This record gives sequence, C-alpha cells and structure tokens, in this order.
Amino acid sequence: MEPQAEMVHWLFAGGLLFLGLVLLCEVLVDEETWRKRAWRVYLWPGVAFGMGVLMWPVMTFFTNSAIHMLAHGSWAQALMIAGGAELGLARGKLHSRWWKLAIPIGLVVSGLAFLLHEQNPWFFARSAFLHHLNGWTLVIGSIFPFGLVWRPNSVVLRTGFALMFVALAVMLFCDRDVAPIFGHLSPLAGVPHR
Amino acid sequence: MRRLALVLAALVALAIPVAAGAHATLKSVSPGFQQELASAPPAIVLTFDQIVSFPSIEVLDQKGHNWALPATIDDTIVKAAIRQLPRGNYTVRWHALSADSHVVSGVWTFGVGVPALPPTEAYGASGPTRTEHIVRWLYFGALATVIGALGVRLLCLRGLVVPPGVEKRILLIAGLGTAAFLELGILAFCMRCEDVLQLPFGKFLYGDLSPISGGTRFGTAFIAMTLGFAVVAAFVYLSWLLDRTDLLWPPFLLAIGFASGISLSGHDAVDPGSFWATELADWVHLVAASLWVGGLLALVLAVWPAGAALRVAGFVRFSRLAVWLVAITLGAGTYLAIVRLPHLHDLWRTGYGQTLIVKLSLVSVALFLGAAHHFVVRPRLERAGDTFLARAGRSLAAELAVAVAVLLVAAVLTDSKPPIPPGSIPNAAAAVPR
Repeated sequence: MEPQAEMVHWLFAGGLLFLGLVLLCEVLVDEETWRKRAWRVYLWPGVAFGMGVLMWPVMTFFTNSAIHMLAHGSWAQALMIAGGAELGLARGKLHSRWWKLAIPIGLVVSGLAFLLHEQNPWFFARSAFLHHLNGWTLVIGSIFPFGLVWRPNSVVLRTGFALMFVALAVMLFCDRDVAPIFGHLSPLAGVPHR
Repeated sequence: MRRLALVLAALVALAIPVAAGAHATLKSVSPGFQQELASAPPAIVLTFDQIVSFPSIEVLDQKGHNWALPATIDDTIVKAAIRQLPRGNYTVRWHALSADSHVVSGVWTFGVGVPALPPTEAYGASGPTRTEHIVRWLYFGALATVIGALGVRLLCLRGLVVPPGVEKRILLIAGLGTAAFLELGILAFCMRCEDVLQLPFGKFLYGDLSPISGGTRFGTAFIAMTLGFAVVAAFVYLSWLLDRTDLLWPPFLLAIGFASGISLSGHDAVDPGSFWATELADWVHLVAASLWVGGLLALVLAVWPAGAALRVAGFVRFSRLAVWLVAITLGAGTYLAIVRLPHLHDLWRTGYGQTLIVKLSLVSVALFLGAAHHFVVRPRLERAGDTFLARAGRSLAAELAVAVAVLLVAAVLTDSKPPIPPGSIPNAAAAVPR
C-alpha cells in the first residue's frame, strides 16, 4: 500500500522544482507582466500550501523512525504556514509586511529539521552529505526571502530565492539513488544496466 | 588546491554506495507484527533494507524471561534462534547499529496459540503517565475548541449579521484549536510509543514506530485523525481567505467524523464487553460534550465582546442547543457507565468508578450553572435584553471553567482501565493456561 520512499522524494522534488521555476519566470518576465493574469499571484503560494497539506500523509505513513516522522511534520507545518501567509498577503487579507517573515522562518525551521535529523558529519556517507547540504541550503537560503521583506523588488534576492528551490529540488532528486537512472552509484539500485 | 580537494571530497561522498537513503529500515519480520501462530517459531528473523551490525534480539514472555539466543547476521538478514516457546504472548525487542552509526530499535508482539496483544501492551510498557493525562486533557480541549467554535458559527449564529471582528475571532479560535489538536496528537502518539519502546529520548528518535502506527487501533486512529484535521486546518484557512462561511461546513463535519477515532481506539472499542453500540455511544458522548464545552468557549471569547444584539441572540440560541447537547451527553454517558460498571458498588470500589464519581460531581455543578442559564438568565435576557448581560458573562465563564475541569477528569478516565465485566475474557494473555 505504502508508496516507495524514493517515489515520494521525487514527487516533492517535482513540486519544489515547479515552485522554483514559477518564481524564476516571475523574475524573468517582471512582476507587472506576471500579474496580468490574476491567478498567477496565487500560484506559488498555493502550490506551497498544497504541498504542506500533502506532506501530512508522508508524516503519518512513514513512521519507520520517530525522527523522520517529526521532521516531515515540521516541513508540513512550515509549508502550510509560509504558503498560507503569502496567500493572505496576495489576497489582501493580511497587510503587515512582517507576515513575509513566515517564509524565512519556515525555511530556517525546515533547514534545522534536516540538520538535527542528521547527526553524522558531512562526509560520513552520501545521505549525511545530502542532509547537511539540504539543511544548510535552506538555512542560508532563508537570507533571500528575509531580504525581500525590506527590498521586495530586488532582482538579485528574488533570483536567489527562486534558484534555492531549484537547487533543493535537484538535491531531493539525488537523495535516493535506487532508481535505475542513478543505479551506477549504489548496489541498492540493483545490477547496472547501462 | 584546497578548493579542489573539497570538491573532490564532496564527489566522493556522493558516490559512496552505502547508506544511500537514511538509516536502516525493517523490510519484513518473522513472525509478523501481532501474528497468532499455531506452534512456536524456530527463530526470529528481521530483514533490513541495508546491512546492519551488532544486532540484539530479545523474545520476552509475560514475566520478562528472554527466550532468544544470540542474534546472527547474514547480509541484511538478522536472525535469532529461540528455545521452544510455550503457549502465550511474546514481545520482541530488537536493536541494531545502522550503517549511518545510528542505533535503530523496535518492538512488536506475537502470540503462540493465542491472539497476540497489541504492541501498546508489550512486556515492559508501563501505561499512561500523569503527563499523558495532561496531554490528553489538552487534546480533548483542542477538539472541543474546534468543534465548538465551528458549531457556534454554523448553528447559533446562522442567519445573523456577524461583524467581521467576531467572524475573525471564531476562525482564529477554530484555527488555533486545529493546530493544537494536531500538535498534541503527535505529542501523545510519541509519548505512547516511547513507553512501548522503553527507550530514552535520544534513542527513541531512531525507534521504529510502524508496528504501533500500522498495527494498532490507537495508531490507525492517530493516522486518520492527523490526516483529517490537516484537511480541517486547510478548510478553516480557506474559509478565512475567501470569506466563505459555507466552507466551514466540511471542517465541522470532518472534525465530528474524525473525532470517532478517539472512540474507535478507546475503552469502548477494545475492552471486553465492547461492541458497536458502546463505540457509537462514546462517539456521540464525545461530540456532544465537545460542542457544549467548545461552544461555551467560543461564546465567551468570540461572541461576548461583540454588540449586545448578537450577544443576546447567540446566548439564547446556544442555550436552546445546550439543552439537547446536555441530554445527549448524559444519556450516552449513563449508558456507558452501566456497561462499564455492571455493579453499583463498582462506583466506589474501583479506581475507574471513583474517577467517574469525581466527573459526575463536576458535571452536576456544570449542569446547575447550565440550568440557571437556561431557566433564569435566558428568559430575563429575552425580556430585558442587554441589562442582564454583564452577570451572565461571568456565570458563563464559570460554567466553562467547570466544563474544562470535567474534560481533565474525562482524560484520566480514558487512560484508566474499567473493571472487567463478569463472564468476559479479560485479554488473550490472561486466558492462557500456564
């Protein structure tokens, strides 16, 4: 019944990639052009909120360790709160710019969940390396949305924010190497076929 | 040069084949989780998704004697031969060092010639603690907050002009209640699992919870209620975002429906003498009480600060609803008490009965206040309007405080064992001839 862990990782990697590309498109075409269709304003926060809702089944069905369950729970909440705050701002229900802090705080919490999750040093193993890389990307990447609270039109900050999601997606795609496409890296993927 | 070395080290780390995922995970076990075996198994076998080392397996009977011989490893398979087991219930506790240096652990149960006990009753598990009573109390409080806030908005303020401030407060109460319910549910689940696994917190973090989450009513209820209330949170949020009160109906009905998880995993579902009617009665009791207590909270915190007209209308409508809620709560509660305590003397002779007496005493105080509101305050409010409101607010808060105390006793009652009805088989373990 349970989907394989790598499938779930790839689904969420796909979601993060979509988020990153949407944000990148917004930077490339400029905000005015992007907002010519009203629904586009809600696109990335809506996807983030939806990913948060979808993270709950991951939390409840993958209970092979308590720490994974708690980490997935923290990501579910961070995504829902950050996406929800951004939707509230886009819709005009929230007015204070401080609500924009929900994103960097969510990123820091998510990054810390990755880092606390992995207590081995960077080069202990592949999974340790990726956990540290994911964690620090989220923690350091929170600088971009943090800066956007004060400089919402900065192209550099917006680009950095978008690319952070793209980088996270790539890392998450690499997180599990049991797929045939990554099969040469690990015996867990079975016999090399290429 | 140093930069190049770092890049190379990173590439090497990425290419290391072992422990590609995270720590080792159990793929299968023999005997299975809660499996009832006709005859004693020759060995315990655990199959992991990757190589582990230094495994340890214990097979404990109901007295804590270990029947397992030292464990051996063959690639990803860990095996421990066991001496000939007599009929009875057994608990398997295992530990192994994962390739990522974390010690992974787990527990499960099986029965030889008898149905297996759930892992929550594994040998060594000590049962709910005082802290768990408090967490369960807060959990009940959070459930009541969600159901009550949504119920007051949808049932008592229906068709009235509700100012945005009141609307916002009700949604805030419902939203915070939902968030608290989710967090407390996770906390309660982890506390129960920690007790079952019998591990200190640092090691518990790497404990396998799947036999509890997937193999017990408690675990299934945790999964269902967590998912259900995540959807409740999303709907409450969308209702606020889109200014759509009708979007509160799905979360209200979902919250009521998923509250059944508590009833389907509690005494009235698993203890001897339980059947569908006790489960239904428990659920009805829980929902009616939640709507009453949570409704009082929403009335005091959200509606009372509003204008006088809304206060009067809200109070009068809630008072009418409360009569039915109290009747349902008392009816279902009386039925459950009769089932749980077949003899009158069970009330003062058993711990369960004594706790029930405390609960009934508090309920009587709440009922007295409720009756005063219904028969004295409501007619005066309908006649005199706002002039009577200040005193009514204080007595409403008093009724709420007593109701919250009732929830605390209810939490203790849920965590304690009722006496075993005569003629019932207490559990599989006790029925085993020694």
